[in-house]
This record gives sequence, structure tokens and C-alpha cells, in this order.
Amino acid sequence: MATPVVSTDLQDSFTATSEQVENSPSKNITDASDFWINAYQDPVAGIKTSSSCMALEDLNGDGENKLIIADVGTTPFDMRLKVYKGTSLLANMQLINLPSGLCTFFVDTNEPMTPAIAVASGPYVYVYKNLRPYFKFTLPSLDINPTEAQYWKQAKEEKLELLSFREMLEELQATDTEIPLTSRSLKLLQCLPEELEVFFNMYKHSPLKRQTVITCIDTIKKTHNEEKAISCIVIGSEHREIFILDPEAFTALARVYLPSVPVLLYTTGVYEVDYKVYVSCRDGNIYLVKGGSKIAKICIQTGSHAVGIEKQGKNILVGAMDDSLSCYTSRGKKLWTIQLPSSITTMEAIEIKSKGIKGVILGLKSGEIRLYRDKLLVNKLMLPEFAIGMKFGRFGREDSTLVLITGSGKLSIKMLKRTANLETRIVGDTLKSITPGKLNLPKKTKLYTEQAIRERENSIPIFQTFHRDLELIKLYITREYAKAIGSRLAPISVTTENIKLSAQVQGLGPGFKLSVSVQNASNIAVTGLLITFIYNPTIYGMTINAIPIPFLVPSINYTYEATVECLSDTGVTEAIRVVITKDSVSIPLLTALITMPVSLGMLIV
Amino acid sequence: MAGLERSRSTRPGLLNRLATFLGIKKKEAQILFVGLDNSGKSTLINFLKPDSYKRQEVVPTIGYSVEQFTAGRISFTVFDMSGQGKSRPLWEHYYRDAHAVVFVLDSTDRLRMEVAREELNNLLLHADVSTRKVPILFLANKMDCKDALGPIQVSVDMCLHEINLHSWHICATNAVTGEGVEEGILWLTEQIKHRL
Repeated sequence: MATPVVSTDLQDSFTATSEQVENSPSKNITDASDFWINAYQDPVAGIKTSSSCMALEDLNGDGENKLIIADVGTTPFDMRLKVYKGTSLLANMQLINLPSGLCTFFVDTNEPMTPAIAVASGPYVYVYKNLRPYFKFTLPSLDINPTEAQYWKQAKEEKLELLSFREMLEELQATDTEIPLTSRSLKLLQCLPEELEVFFNMYKHSPLKRQTVITCIDTIKKTHNEEKAISCIVIGSEHREIFILDPEAFTALARVYLPSVPVLLYTTGVYEVDYKVYVSCRDGNIYLVKGGSKIAKICIQTGSHAVGIEKQGKNILVGAMDDSLSCYTSRGKKLWTIQLPSSITTMEAIEIKSKGIKGVILGLKSGEIRLYRDKLLVNKLMLPEFAIGMKFGRFGREDSTLVLITGSGKLSIKMLKRTANLETRIVGDTLKSITPGKLNLPKKTKLYTEQAIRERENSIPIFQTFHRDLELIKLYITREYAKAIGSRLAPISVTTENIKLSAQVQGLGPGFKLSVSVQNASNIAVTGLLITFIYNPTIYGMTINAIPIPFLVPSINYTYEATVECLSDTGVTEAIRVVITKDSVSIPLLTALITMPVSLGMLIV
Repeated sequence: MAGLERSRSTRPGLLNRLATFLGIKKKEAQILFVGLDNSGKSTLINFLKPDSYKRQEVVPTIGYSVEQFTAGRISFTVFDMSGQGKSRPLWEHYYRDAHAVVFVLDSTDRLRMEVAREELNNLLLHADVSTRKVPILFLANKMDCKDALGPIQVSVDMCLHEINLHSWHICATNAVTGEGVEEGILWLTEQIKHRL
């Protein structure tokens, strides 16, 4: 009997935002269950891949799209090329090396039209046709450091001891960065001393080669823009180069150097007419390679690293590692940014031709799958774990199918419902977009320009002057501080008698009360202290000018009070200084300055 | 819009024989054929037609096509709806006048069984179907293919046991050879006989 095919997805919980539930409990228009059909899932598919290693294409020309996956494998050296027809595995082929990308393209117009599969892996592009190996393209090898080649030659001729040969290579690696060492030399440097000889003898006779690695792969139509037109392969390499390959002869039609290592490609246009390749690089910038141009121009500075690039109309959508989705014009001007609740794991463009709808689907680390149309969040779907690979398109005979590969290797296929509402955005989705509006900057004045020029020309003296002044301020402050400590002007003593002093003023005036609290913070009792008040006798009058403290027990707070009479009725105030001295020593132990309030007595009278 | 095809025949085809069997005269029965694309609706109807009107090659239906058979004194009108995604919204406009619905399923297409269930749900929830009793015949087509699901499995996947209002029947068919079609049509005519 047949195996059960349609298993209801119990784990996947569909969420509508809480606000939405409150607002319209009866009509959940954007509820995910009204949105996706859970067509199929295989929890034990055991696939480990990324979106760049997945494709949906009609391989046999029978009107049914197949799912093609370059699987990295769960165990080492178990890389496979898998082709799914519906729910069954049509082909499962061994791959020799780790795949870095996969794409499908037409190499000829022979009927029936069957596309080829290109798998990028190491420095090679393996091309399969009719699910059989068809061609292998190798990226041209790079120049070898002549010193390194010489060392190998000498070692082979046994003019060099193995250990010293290794040391020389090590030295070379440390000094010469112009041309890096070959992978063979690097491997040799990693070898343990006892493995060294075996490794050397195994490889010494084969010629030394330095090869690059393909980082990304995409296709571009060659002569005309039709669905089944012949396409060229576009390759980005670790060697900071973009290659465009001819689909028939597999020769490089164009080569463009980049300032950094390419990571992601997005191509538009037709090779022989006009084309654009947007290249996201490891330096966080997106470069533009135009048809006919030999130079890559910087297009977008993301300020982060792109996870996905998609073009929508004339704008470019970039999902970045700083958890944001941004929209740029083709000239690189930022239009808007949406901050996402979690980091993006994968990004995929959607296009529903029958409804004329375009958008992007984002897979988030939290397990959420979000569908955005422009900057509007249309649908949210919660998965039990995050998606590592995602592809949207026609699968089998159904358009708008979403193929998901999650972290544990689960394959799930969801189909967009015919009745799904893609027009309404989720209620409660607050648009936290940062739209940089035009700043109303005044025109630069002549004075400003002159000042700017002067600053640019005399930057060193300006900095020196500023630095000198800063140091002078620091010196002045330090001096004043030393002076205050030296003359015991601070309310905390620094001598052996560790005493704390605080004073308060109470009352509205003209009569005030001064409360002076004294605390011995040391462990030893202090004797023979005297509190003295220093004030201006023309403004204030006091009954007691000094309070003797015969004995101060450690850690007990003593409070002494004194009354002050404000004699002046002009509203003049002056600070009263409280000084604590010991025995007959003239230098005070500590000093506190009490700022007197304005006497309100005269105002009341 | 739709390509309208009419084929009139006096030669006894299978439907003719059924009409005679039914004994319904001067009456019209409208039957709606729905189902996903590539499930075999047009091929099934092609099989039901009299031999001389049979097409050699069946192409995907665009929009819908109407086949009419005048058998004795009764006429059968069969609406062959296109199953393509963009044409499916058209189905609901024909529910009102249909005396019976034939839902054709591709029993090899495991991937889209859930899509078919979704379309069936849409059909059952539609006002023109949910308010009256319409006999529904399910044909699990392509039974000859080696990876085809059995009719029981199909009815489980399609949750047919949840249909309470309408009488339904499922049988496995092969639209090319006509295997199993007769059984289904006999059940359908029996159902219509009560209602006309």
C-alpha cells in the first residue's frame, strides 16, 4: 500500500499577531493557515544546503518542475546532487567536492528543450545534462610564487632537507604576501613532522598549481531574454574575479576584477545586449559590473554584509546581517530600511505572475518566515526551527510553491493558496522604517569654505594647539586639586585622622540653624578637635564661634548645632566656612563651605 | 474566452446507453467536471464520447469546454473545466446549475493532493453547493501508473469522510482505457435519477 503522503503539520504553528486577534477575531485575513497549503514534508530528508544550492526547473521537458538540490551532506564526503520529482527522489548522484552553488540553464535549443545543471564546486563547474555528467569547466590556475616553485624543485632534487624546506616555506609565507602559497604548500605546513615525508613523496612529482575556488554562480541570458533562451554562466571566484562563460564552448567571454571577494551575485539583462551583475562582496559593499565595462563600480555600501540581494522593479532589496531589509535605488541611494526581530538566514524573491505580485520571503533565525511586498509585511509563518534553504517557484505542476529546508535537514513544501490575500498587510505590524528624508542644509558660505580649507591645510598645528591646551587644563586642575588637599580645604581629611564632615543650613532667615555632622571614619578615637566657623561679621552674627569636640568615638555620627543671625537686610549672602582643627595645629584638618540661602525674613516683614 | 465545442451524435455512446437505462426523457442533466490540471478530465470526457467524435490527442483545456450529447430524448451537458490555477476561480460560476459534480483526481500526484483537498473545500463551502444536495463523484484517475495511490488512500487524504451533506462515491479509473469509468457513471446516473 502506498505510504501516507499528506501529513498534517502539527508542529508548525501559524501565528497571527496578537493585535490582529483582538481587532478582528472573526476575520483573520492574514492568518498563515489561510495562506499556505502544507503539501508535503519529509522530516528525515537529511538535507543540508543553502538557497544558492537549490533550483526548481523542468529537467525533462514534461511540464513538471523538479527540485534540484546540491546537498552538502550530514557526514563528511557525502556530497550529493539530488533531484526530486514531486515527492520521490528521481536522482541521487555523488558529488566529488563541496558544492558552493547550483544553477540551471539552457545550453542549446535542441528539442525537447532540456536544461543543464551547473554545480560549482572548488575550482570546477560540473555541468550535467539529462542527469548525466556533460562537461567540467576548470577555472584557469593562478601564478605561482617563483620562490616557492624553486623551493619545491630543490626539495624534489633532494638539495633541500625536508625540515629546512618546510622552514623556508614558513618564512616565505610570513614575508611574501604578494602571491600567496599554493594549497599544497599550506597543507604541507599543517603536516606533523612524521607525516611530512609521506605527504611530500605523494605529491612531489605532480606539477605545482595554485587554484582558486568558486564562491558563487548564477546565469545570464546570452542573446535574447526568453524563458528558455540559452544562458551564460556567471562565476565569482575567491580570486576576486567575475567570469562570464560561453554556454557552448565553455570559454571565458568576460573577466572583471573586483576590489573584494564576491559572495552573492544578482544578474539582469542579456549578455549580448546589455547586462548588469550586482556583486555583493566580503567587504560589505555591493559592486556593479556593467556590460562592456572592465571595471566594477561600487554601487551600494550596506554598512553590513548582505545575506541576499534581489531586484524588484528598478530597486534593489538587500537583506543584511544587521537584521535589516533595505531598499536601494539602482544608483545606490537608500530608500527605506526595515529592522527585523531576528537575523536573516535566507532570502528569496517571489513573483506570482497570474496576480502580478512581487515580493521577498525572508527566513529568520527565530524560525519565522516573513513575506514582504515592498516594505509591507503580508504574512508571517512560524516554523519550529529556522530555514537554511528556501526556494519559491513552480514545483511539479503548481506555481507559487515554497520549498523549505530547515536546520535539521527537514524538507517541507508549502503551496500558496489560490485564495491567499496578498493585498492586506498584517495589522499591528508597525512600520519601523527609517526613511532618510532630505535634510534642509543651508548653502555653504564663503567663510565656511575658507575655514574648511584652513583646517585642512593646518590640521597638524591645529591639533597640536588643541592638544597643548587640553594638557594645560589637565595640569591646572591637578595643581588646584593638590593645593586643596595640601591646605586641607576639602571636607574629607587625608591625614591619619580620617574624619568626615558635612554641614546643613536650616531655616528661612533671618535666623538660621547650622547642623554640622562629624564622623570618625578611622578605627582609633580622636581627641582634642575644635569646630570653628569663619564668616563675614557684617552680614552674619553667631552666638558660638567655636565648638570644642573633646572625644570622637569611631563610626558614630556626632551632630553639633549653631545658630546664625542674618544681620544684613539687603539680601546679600556669603558662604560660611566650617573648619576643623586639632589641638593647637594651625593647619586645618578639613574645611567645608556652606552656601547660605537668602534671608527671607525681610521679605516677610 | 472559452472554446465551445458541441458534438451531436445519434450513435449510441456510453452516455446514450445510460440515458436509456435511466429512462429520463426530454430532460437535461448538467454535469460539471472539475479537478486540478493534468488530472485527466478532458481525457475522461473524450472516452465517454461516441467513437467517431473521439479526439486522438487531448490538449490542456483553456477556460472550459462544453460537450453535449443528445441521447434519445435526453441531453447531457458536460462542462469540462480547465484545472489550471488561473482558471480555477471560474469553476464556482457553474456550481449553481450543475446536477452533479465529477471531481477528477490524479492519484499519482501526491504533492498536490493537498491542493486538490483545498479546492474541494472551496467547492463544498461555496453557497451554491453547501445549500443543496449535489452528488459528487470522485475519480481517482491514472490507476494504471505504478506509483498511483489506491482509492481508499485517496479518500483518506482528501478527508472525504467529512462530507455529510452530499452523497459521494469514489472509484479508481483509467481514463485512457476507460477502466472503472462505467462504475462511476452508473452510480452518478442513479443519483441524478432521484433528483431530476
